[in-house]
Amino acid sequence: MASAVENKVKNAKLVLLGDVGTGKSSIVLRFVKGQFVEFQESTIGAAFFSQTLAVNDETVKFEIWDTAGQERYHSLAPMYYRGAAAAIIVYDVTNAATFTRAKKWVQELQAQGNINTVMALAGNKADLVEARQVTAEEAQAYAQENGLFFMETSAKTAINVNDVFYEIAKRFLQAQAQQQQNTNGMILTDRAANRTTSSSSCCS
Amino acid sequence: MFSRLASDAEMEKRRADEFEPGPASPLKPVDRFGFVKQDQNNSLEAKNRPTNEVEREERRIRKWRKMIGVGGSDWKHYVRRKPHVVRRRIRKGIPDCLRGLVWQLISGSRGLLLMNPGVYEQLVIYETSASELDIIRDISRTFPSHVFFQQRHGPGQRSLYNVLKAYSVYDRDVGYVQGMGFLAGLLLLYMSEEDAFWLLVALLKGAVHAPMEGLYQVGLPLVQQYLFQFEQLVKEHLPKLGQHFSEEMINPSMYASGSDISVTKRFMTPGPPFVWHVLGTGVKIVFQVGLALLTVCQNNLLKLAFEKLIHALRNFPEEALDPEKLLPLAFSIKVFVTYSISF
Repeated sequence: MASAVENKVKNAKLVLLGDVGTGKSSIVLRFVKGQFVEFQESTIGAAFFSQTLAVNDETVKFEIWDTAGQERYHSLAPMYYRGAAAAIIVYDVTNAATFTRAKKWVQELQAQGNINTVMALAGNKADLVEARQVTAEEAQAYAQENGLFFMETSAKTAINVNDVFYEIAKRFLQAQAQQQQNTNGMILTDRAANRTTSSSSCCS
Repeated sequence: MFSRLASDAEMEKRRADEFEPGPASPLKPVDRFGFVKQDQNNSLEAKNRPTNEVEREERRIRKWRKMIGVGGSDWKHYVRRKPHVVRRRIRKGIPDCLRGLVWQLISGSRGLLLMNPGVYEQLVIYETSASELDIIRDISRTFPSHVFFQQRHGPGQRSLYNVLKAYSVYDRDVGYVQGMGFLAGLLLLYMSEEDAFWLLVALLKGAVHAPMEGLYQVGLPLVQQYLFQFEQLVKEHLPKLGQHFSEEMINPSMYASGSDISVTKRFMTPGPPFVWHVLGTGVKIVFQVGLALLTVCQNNLLKLAFEKLIHALRNFPEEALDPEKLLPLAFSIKVFVTYSISF
């Protein structure tokens, strides 16, 4: 029943983690619906969304778990990040404490998560230039050290939001191709895999 | 930080703006519970209610008033004399206009209030809480689409802040937890700040019934327990569906977590709210309603794969949520919660 096109849809579980009020839900809302709400209702427990994204001739379908940010809900987080193919760790560029919290999430994922998880660090609210507390350089350096890719985003102005998901989709597909290669024991030269893209792009 | 003015970029997103709270949108139509209608045709309950329904409601209110007495003076007496009548009437739903008072009577919060004169005022005015900033940050994110809570620093937001702050001082171990706002907010729609505060205390500390503070304590023990128990109950009562869920790798954390809130919100719209049922019969009713919902939708759910399944479980159709049908079914389900959690 499944047509050739459907065969190419790859499902990817993606989880958003990060401190309260960093804009996790807003990023998802922007990506999934193209909307922004100034007063986004706080997320209790977790919310689920899905969205597909085409990368070249392949399609990735993201199954997105948007989690609650408050520390008290931490004990629920493993239920959502377990087995995730990708994670976006969000902090608020205008709040240094949320960057510290983001680092803790990275550590936790590295300690418990799947090593194949594609991890992205998103410095959200990049439109609030005057209130900035975390520099892009600092975050970029941290991301590089820890093998994440980094972007500054603004769910409000839509800057880089789709790009984060697109980059994740690309990396996810690369990783999948790599895995397939390994299991097949065949050497396939993959154009995408050869390209070591400069992963970061920051908004000014 | 949420007070930034709307930028041009978002102005073009007019749909998003419809949810934008603030003085700019005072004339948006609201439903009978005060939520701004999210356009679309969710108007199953809207429209004009037929007159016979209105009359029936009025008859019920008269019966209830008699049962409660002035300011609740006859309630205890009536409950002792005719517990089955009270039970039956409660199951049919407490009339909206009397909910505030009845919740206070059932929960035992009225007693707490009378025994602790001046305490609430003390907590609000003279004490400071470590959670003040956290609470402020969440205030505009609690029921942002409700008329009472929309206005920045308006009476709704101020009351909500006071109740949450008072509670975070009253129980410094639990403090403030995101999600409490929705519960406190619901209560504030039906009663004064001080009454809402004591009802929150009665619920979480267990004045008459088992305490529910485990929903908010570190590690969320009660949430974990409920999720575990519900999963077992689904396997037992709806084995086919339970099987389907495990094949699709669905577990209750995906559709029922934070359910204290989402269920509250959902059940506020269709009739007899859930909070009160928890007060009346314990958490059992939450499980029963959950199982009843799954039973009603079972045939459809069995056909769905992971993603659509989650979506369906998080957005039950309006028909399935009709309390007139759902609650009788829920009450008919025999639930014995004997499972203990094993980590």
